[in-house]
Amino acid sequence: MPSPVIRVDGFTKRYGRRLAADGLALEVQRGEIHGLVGADGAGKSSLMKAIAGVLSFDAGTLEVFGIRIDSERAAEQVKQRIGFLPQGLGLNLYPDLSIDENVDFFGRLRGVPDAELAERKRLLLEMTRLDAFRLRPMRQLSGGMKQKLGLVCTLIHEPELVVLDEPTTGVDPVSRRDFWSILGKLLEEKGITALVSTAYLDEADRFHRVSLFHEGRVMGQGTPAELVARVPGTLALFRAEPQAEALPRLKAAFPQTEAMGAWLRVFADGLDPAQARQAIDGCLAGAAAPAIGLSDWFAREPELEDVFVAMLRQRGARLDTTLEAGTRARPPDAGLAIEARALTRVFGDFRAADAVSFQVPPGEIFGLLGANGAGKTTVIKMLTGILPPSSGEGRVAGAAMRSAGSAIKERIGYMSQAFSLYHDLSVVENIRLYAGIYGLDDRRARQRSDWVIGMAGLAGYENDAAGRLPMGLRQRLALGCALVHEPRVLFLDEPTSGVDPIGRRVFWDILFHLSRREGVAILVTTHYMGEAEHCDHLALMFAGRVVADASPEALKQELAGHVGRLLELQVDRPAPAQAALRAAGFAHVALHGRAVHVLSPDAEADLQRLPALLAQAGISVLAAGLRPLSMEDVFVQRITALEDAARRPS
Amino acid sequence: MNRQRIVALAWKEWREILRDRLFFALAFVVPTMLMLLFGYGLTLDVENLPFAVVDYDRTAASRDYAYRFISSRYFAFQGYAADERAVDGLLAGNQVRMVLIIPPRFDERLTRGEAAPVQVLIDGTFPERTQTSMGYVTAINSAVSLDQMAQALSRVRGIPLAEARQRVQPVKLEVRYLYNQSVQSIWSLAPKLIMLIMMLSPPFLTAVGVVREKESGSIFNIYSSTVSPGEFLLGKLAPYVAISIANAMFLWLLATTLFGAPFKGDPLFFAFATVLYVICTTGIGLVISMLVQTQVAAMIVASIVSIIPAVLYSGVLLPLPSLSPAASVLAHALPPMYYTNIVVGCFLKAVSWHALWLEVAVLAAYAVGLFGLGYLLFTKRPAS
Repeated sequence: MPSPVIRVDGFTKRYGRRLAADGLALEVQRGEIHGLVGADGAGKSSLMKAIAGVLSFDAGTLEVFGIRIDSERAAEQVKQRIGFLPQGLGLNLYPDLSIDENVDFFGRLRGVPDAELAERKRLLLEMTRLDAFRLRPMRQLSGGMKQKLGLVCTLIHEPELVVLDEPTTGVDPVSRRDFWSILGKLLEEKGITALVSTAYLDEADRFHRVSLFHEGRVMGQGTPAELVARVPGTLALFRAEPQAEALPRLKAAFPQTEAMGAWLRVFADGLDPAQARQAIDGCLAGAAAPAIGLSDWFAREPELEDVFVAMLRQRGARLDTTLEAGTRARPPDAGLAIEARALTRVFGDFRAADAVSFQVPPGEIFGLLGANGAGKTTVIKMLTGILPPSSGEGRVAGAAMRSAGSAIKERIGYMSQAFSLYHDLSVVENIRLYAGIYGLDDRRARQRSDWVIGMAGLAGYENDAAGRLPMGLRQRLALGCALVHEPRVLFLDEPTSGVDPIGRRVFWDILFHLSRREGVAILVTTHYMGEAEHCDHLALMFAGRVVADASPEALKQELAGHVGRLLELQVDRPAPAQAALRAAGFAHVALHGRAVHVLSPDAEADLQRLPALLAQAGISVLAAGLRPLSMEDVFVQRITALEDAARRPS
Repeated sequence: MNRQRIVALAWKEWREILRDRLFFALAFVVPTMLMLLFGYGLTLDVENLPFAVVDYDRTAASRDYAYRFISSRYFAFQGYAADERAVDGLLAGNQVRMVLIIPPRFDERLTRGEAAPVQVLIDGTFPERTQTSMGYVTAINSAVSLDQMAQALSRVRGIPLAEARQRVQPVKLEVRYLYNQSVQSIWSLAPKLIMLIMMLSPPFLTAVGVVREKESGSIFNIYSSTVSPGEFLLGKLAPYVAISIANAMFLWLLATTLFGAPFKGDPLFFAFATVLYVICTTGIGLVISMLVQTQVAAMIVASIVSIIPAVLYSGVLLPLPSLSPAASVLAHALPPMYYTNIVVGCFLKAVSWHALWLEVAVLAAYAVGLFGLGYLLFTKRPAS
């Protein structure tokens, strides 16, 4: 067995009193794409910096290429063989330099001879399709282009190991897919080993092997399939009416129960599909209460996130909240809660939002999806009256926000990207402050403060400074502050960025409860495609425009009807397989670790046909099967279709 | 030391400075602007002091006396006032800074040989200016008194007025102002401004330039590559030193042409000392950049660390001997004082190595010390 490229044991790192990494251990083999998957603050960045030799640590051993990294001198020995891309989209690049100048700088810094530098630059820029923009300053590039330029700069000295810290965060799904296929191709061609971190659990299947991070520890390591197999169980998807009654009953028996729009999603630990169906039926039939009908049953293998949550639960993490107690059900208001009518905002010659229209009825969770810079925040700011639109109109609770009085403004709650808490104030002080801003009297302020603490699970933290709370609690406190005046319409701007899977689940549970039982209309933006499935209705935004507006289910069905279903092929050489499939006329082919995903208009026939087709190119197919479509597939297909239409000469 | 890497770093830095509007302004516009603002604004000469006269006597003698002030270039006559109450408002409103009150019977008393009192009201809000204007008033008044005595003597003894003048003032002062013949404060201020501005600008530029990379994360490109700390510091700081040297030369040009200050010393010696000083102040910026993490902190620390010694402990406003013992120790511990001696020496005194070798040696020691400290503080594998 060849020696591993990276060997970590007992890695411990502290920042002051905070423990960022607590005895981490992992191994990365030559030639693999190894993923570090986990939330913000899980210890991924600390470990990656230490491996790149740019951060000292407190305890444990760390070997890279067989050299023990325990001093600056030792770290220097391996740096020429490593390429490091730090976290933050394009932040390590030089905004005033052009693409060309950035690449040249990195090349010269790494001592690449001029002739070789020119040749490598040409190849890499061609491959990343940046060659048309060589003279454009980096600050004027889109998120996806910055990400690709970062990759080019990291690879320019042909390292044997690349360490990429969250390269896909905040990038639109199309660019992300592009990024993975470029990375996969390059690594396979050059035999490079890659260590890549991500906060998106649904990206885990892009890796050969994965280490799951949680609060400074590694929860598990292996191929995505091995990890999924570690927690046996069945994932059930079905509808049940009334959904709001079914949810608490199922939750009592299956803690990992979620509402996804009109659907229910239950992870039944340790049960096979037949057992799961039986257990769920029994749960819904109920002895005392009236029986609840079940329809549209699907059972399949759980996803990595379900497994991760199950692992955390086994270690004592809790998913329940005290929401049900003490809140009264409220019927939804009449009329539309939110209405955007051709909202447009122009900054100079840049259209941040371009004729955005949609409607949100009361009691609905409405998702606004898109990459950073797609215009989501601009739309929210116009709807909440913070930013005047250049044209068009935004109406909330039947009133135009531009001219609405404070009576209307008091009916909306707003939670911004940065969570807008005062970090030096305690939990209770933060809540009281917001209660004061909304003019609640003392008695009500006390009542609402108790409600927020119960809802957010903050009991015991009342007097802690908000800045010291874990991310998940801080997020729920911010939500509580936005809800302190019992608004009827709630705007949430990227509420789950950086929060761990448990925190995200609890958060979505609360949102579901608010919309279903209290009739609150919720508009939420996110760039996690996986989260979009929680919404009743979605609007996809791209370059300032809404490019799709329907329920998640309808969007997927439309994709399946128009373009095809999703095939997954496990192959021995994924990058050439992707090329061969593209050559065979498949427009949507994506790399996922050792597998290739293809959208096929005639899935059954292709399932039979493709192994033979790939065998002609010398690629063997190890396994093939159908996969459910994801929101990411929908998004990527929509946008590539739009881009193609724009490119075609009219 | 790898030349390609140093050149790559310096070239990148240079282009960033040119293209970033804020940096461009900091590097090329601010020093010149400061020179113009300070040069025109910070003149310490007291001239054209506005004043008024209250003349209760209204005789030829009282008008003569007042005319001595009116014709002086140090005072600017604003007019006669009727009485004291009228001048209260003028003084309070800063329209005049001094009032001359000539009482009734001024002429009569003088003719009789009695003492003739005259009252002077001076605005005391700026002690420096008050002292200076009081000096002018005393001098003009003494001249008038001497004249009176000489005239009386000449009348009584019947000797010529010139001889009488000499008798009343047997000791005659012959003053020659050295180095600054016309005693113009801009002559000594302009060179000191080069010191002041070169103490402010390089630390600011350097500290912000380095910390900007820490804040954005691009410093990781340096940490993760095989660039040595020496190569990094050399490549990163060379453009800042070069820009600051160019600025210093331009300020020298402004001082000698626009402000008309004489330059009597050895240009080569001055250039050498200036380069040393600029390296020294760049080193201050380097050390600051190693100790702070954000651009805001860098700006605050750089302004405190550079403005205070440059203004208070350099001899630009207050002469060093008049500092308290503690302040004097502080002044000797900081570089600006030494360079002040060098600029003043080079501009006004035409002195060179023989008189200023110690100052040059101290600056050199500083430059080496600061860069050494910066080198030691720079680590490519920090703890956070």
